[in-house]
Amino acid sequence: MKRRGPDRTTLFLIAVVITLAGLAWLRDGFPLVVDGLSGGASELLQVTPLLLAAFLIAGLTQVLISRDVIERWLGSQSGWRGILLACLGGALIPGGPYVYYPIAGSLLHSGAGLGVLVAFVSAKNLWSVTRLPYEFALLGPRLTLIRYAATFLLPPIFGVAAEALFGSRIESIREALQ
Amino acid sequence: MIQSTLIMLGIALAMWIYARRRGDDSARRGVNVGWQTLKRTLLLLLIAFAIVGYVEVLAPQDLVRSWIGPDSGLRGVLIGTVAGMLLPGGPYVVFPLIAALYQNGAGLGPTLAMITSWAALALLTVSFELPFLGWRFSLLRLSLGLFAPILVGLLGWLAFTG
Repeated sequence: MKRRGPDRTTLFLIAVVITLAGLAWLRDGFPLVVDGLSGGASELLQVTPLLLAAFLIAGLTQVLISRDVIERWLGSQSGWRGILLACLGGALIPGGPYVYYPIAGSLLHSGAGLGVLVAFVSAKNLWSVTRLPYEFALLGPRLTLIRYAATFLLPPIFGVAAEALFGSRIESIREALQ
Repeated sequence: MIQSTLIMLGIALAMWIYARRRGDDSARRGVNVGWQTLKRTLLLLLIAFAIVGYVEVLAPQDLVRSWIGPDSGLRGVLIGTVAGMLLPGGPYVVFPLIAALYQNGAGLGPTLAMITSWAALALLTVSFELPFLGWRFSLLRLSLGLFAPILVGLLGWLAFTG
């Protein structure tokens, strides 16, 4: 989710469109420039009903799942239970990186372990429930299913591995931020 | 396609009915949040689909196939991983692009690697992580996370030979 106004990402993507349009023009002149745009438009129209449903689901999820509850739920959790709860919290938490990183930061300050934090961020990345509708709408059920199945075990594994291998470094991570 | 649309609309409707029954205005707020997100991302969506359109008319199938095609093996998975890290923007920008590459000859392994790598390792996202969790945490998480796209990519390549 991006902020309003043409940020750097938007400008970069516009530059990509212009470059591609230039390539099309060089290859086959103006008709191909138009073909590209109309092809894109018809693709977009095809997925429009799916996209509308996806935005609706994402919006309702954001309202139905409260951030405060997840934050309170995960505060100063540790061990196996904490890691599994963090996975669940990460999967459910709505919003983009500017929403869940501040929450992860406050978890760090309230004493969460390294495994909990890694599990939380990894689950947000790999299991995100709010991203699922977009993935389903735009990439199709097959890719989405295989992708979620293939990464299903990773967030808890990453959490446990981080705790086991580097768990003792959490204090230095906490101190460095103060 | 029609089936997917019906499933998604069904889920949306079920969630909306549930939200309504809570009687706390969450149905209206949820629809509103979705609408605001759509308005905010409309420009990006249009741009993303313009790119998709050009990828299709320029049909770089030979190029795509030789870099990240079904036979590109570990090399394709690694290229997919790096590409995923560099992809900018939210899901509504990235997913149409990856879908277009997949339809133009990218293999399943590299495609899965790209999706996973964008999800777990996107450099633009790391720039949000740094101020809140610090570079030590980011380094640690990224070094673990690097396994994800490579593992998933190789799995996709081996299990589905492509």
